[in-house]
Amino acid sequence: MTNRDRVKAVLNFEMPDDRLPAIEWASWWWDRTIMEWQKQGLPANLGFHDIAPYLGLDQHYQFWLPHRDALCPQPKFFGGPIAEDEEEYEKILPHLYPDGDVDRQLEFMRSLKAGHDAGDYPVWFSLDGGFWFPRTILGIENHLYSFYDQPELYERILNDLAEFQLRQLEKIYSILTPEFMTFGEDMSYNNGPMISEDCFDEFLLPYYNKVVPYIKEHGTKVIIDSDGDISRMVPWLKRVGIEGVLPLERKAGVDVAALREVHPDFLFIGAFDKMTMRESEEAMREEFERLLPVMKKGGFIPSVDHQTPPDCPLERYHIYVDMLKEYGRKAVED
Amino acid sequence: MSILNDISENLQRGKAKVVKELIQQALDAGEKPETILSEGLLDGMNIIGAKFKEGTVYVPEVLVAARAMNQGAAMLKPYLEEAGVKSIGRACLGTVQGDLHDIGKNLVKMMLEGKGIEVIDLGTDVAPETFIQTAIEQDCQLICLSALLTTTMGVMGEVVKKAEEAGIRDKVKIMIGGAPVDEAFCRQIGADVYTPDAASAADAAKALLTA
Ligand code: B12
Repeated sequence: MTNRDRVKAVLNFEMPDDRLPAIEWASWWWDRTIMEWQKQGLPANLGFHDIAPYLGLDQHYQFWLPHRDALCPQPKFFGGPIAEDEEEYEKILPHLYPDGDVDRQLEFMRSLKAGHDAGDYPVWFSLDGGFWFPRTILGIENHLYSFYDQPELYERILNDLAEFQLRQLEKIYSILTPEFMTFGEDMSYNNGPMISEDCFDEFLLPYYNKVVPYIKEHGTKVIIDSDGDISRMVPWLKRVGIEGVLPLERKAGVDVAALREVHPDFLFIGAFDKMTMRESEEAMREEFERLLPVMKKGGFIPSVDHQTPPDCPLERYHIYVDMLKEYGRKAVED
Repeated sequence: MSILNDISENLQRGKAKVVKELIQQALDAGEKPETILSEGLLDGMNIIGAKFKEGTVYVPEVLVAARAMNQGAAMLKPYLEEAGVKSIGRACLGTVQGDLHDIGKNLVKMMLEGKGIEVIDLGTDVAPETFIQTAIEQDCQLICLSALLTTTMGVMGEVVKKAEEAGIRDKVKIMIGGAPVDEAFCRQIGADVYTPDAASAADAAKALLTA
């Protein structure tokens, strides 16, 4: 079975013939992990997209569409704002929503079309979501105040965002049909969602209702990327048509088996507790044993529940990849 | 008195302006500043904290409530000083070296302040020495450490060691928290208290300071 078809099968709640996909969904590796691994023998000359296949993973390509241009002002401090009010937002508008930058990236997507058609790899894309994007504009903390302080500005940003994204989607679908996509959000943490359901409904629901249907019409599965404990949010997400979630962070308390019971039709990617990778081979095996019953139920691509941390030695990562495939085979055996 | 109740309720809804107006009215009516603080502001913040802990209010609600509290407290400060009211203790707080996550740390700060604790915020990416030096120089009874990364949580252990080396370990309590941290880790590094959320952190801090 091809890499693309394995992913497609799972996304349709079907079992691949041979094994589940073996991917690291967080395909933009943690730079510190790569630095450590290079000290441990990972060739330094590997291109960004060559690392996964080198490590024995299935090839896949992610496109995170640029939402601002290279000249866009940078925050003065980590997580700081680049625009704090409507007037400042208008000043930076020329640097936001850069069609040209997206077009250049889509050139690369076009070059992948033949391989995608042949099934060599799945392709997916990511969009900044209605929680994440305003946060990068307003600053991490101001963003949380803005639901109370500047609701009109928030709505305006999300209108502009949706309009921009719908334009880009049209271009993507003129090239190929990605298997799935994610909205980058990170709107939950260890104790659950950062915002209330009312807040979600007031601000994010109208945005999702504009963008999600268009994507689904084209057959791309719509998944939300939110760290932390997303469990309580799943019903909210379902209401706006979202079909799945990643990365199901274990340390934050996500119990993927319990979630599967309640939501038999929701797609899952991730859930493999990265903390076990700092421990031992045995801890990783135990973790796969925990996940196996859920893997067997379908609609689930097991993968590290965020970027692989730098304290996982390269040698252990090789063992991890072997196990990922071993359990991926076990999952499809009946 | 119902004006104190109004202060508490408006604080819970994040209405900083109204809170300040009500404080002025209460002062004009001859209410004691320490009563306004404890039965108005801190009462409101306590309720928000408890609701946050049980998951019925969320991060933005805590932030706007804490802002109302801070503005109200700033307004009361000269009156409290005049009346000789002291905080129940002093803490220094920061996110440890190598780590820039600060939303949780900021919430812990607000909740501690909501218990009448004075907090020195050292910011993010704070070296172990800085915690120790601040604790000594500013006479803090509490050191509060936040870490969100597995790669930085080890720094918390270093702070504990440095406190021992500096000979202040028996004078300060060390509290830790953040996404990867848990009770077992707290015991392992020899810190005093771990709590999973900011409201419990404030309860624990108050208990430590008033023990
Ligand atoms: C928001 C976020 C970010 C933001 C941070 C913005 C900011 N200014 O804080 C951004 C996008 C910038 C970011 C960056 C990174 N992040 Co980050 N991030 C998160 C996320 C999604 C939420 C954290 C958060 O804000 N929570 C909200 C607050 C309210 O919760 P909290 O911090 O947990 O605090 C509560 C309690 O823990 C407690 N508490 C907190 N501190 C203290 C202290 C004391 C004394 C006590 C008693 C209690 C206590 O009280 C708080 C309130 O109740 C988490 C996911 C998660 N599970 O938490 C990942 C997460 C922490 N990030 C992660 C990673 C990997 C990173 C990066 C390394 C990514 C990268 N490769 O660049 C960088 C690191 C940058 C750096 N050097 O610090 C990983 C860490 C994994 C690991 N191996 O350790 C996490 C867990 C995501 C994941 N799914 O794995 N991140």
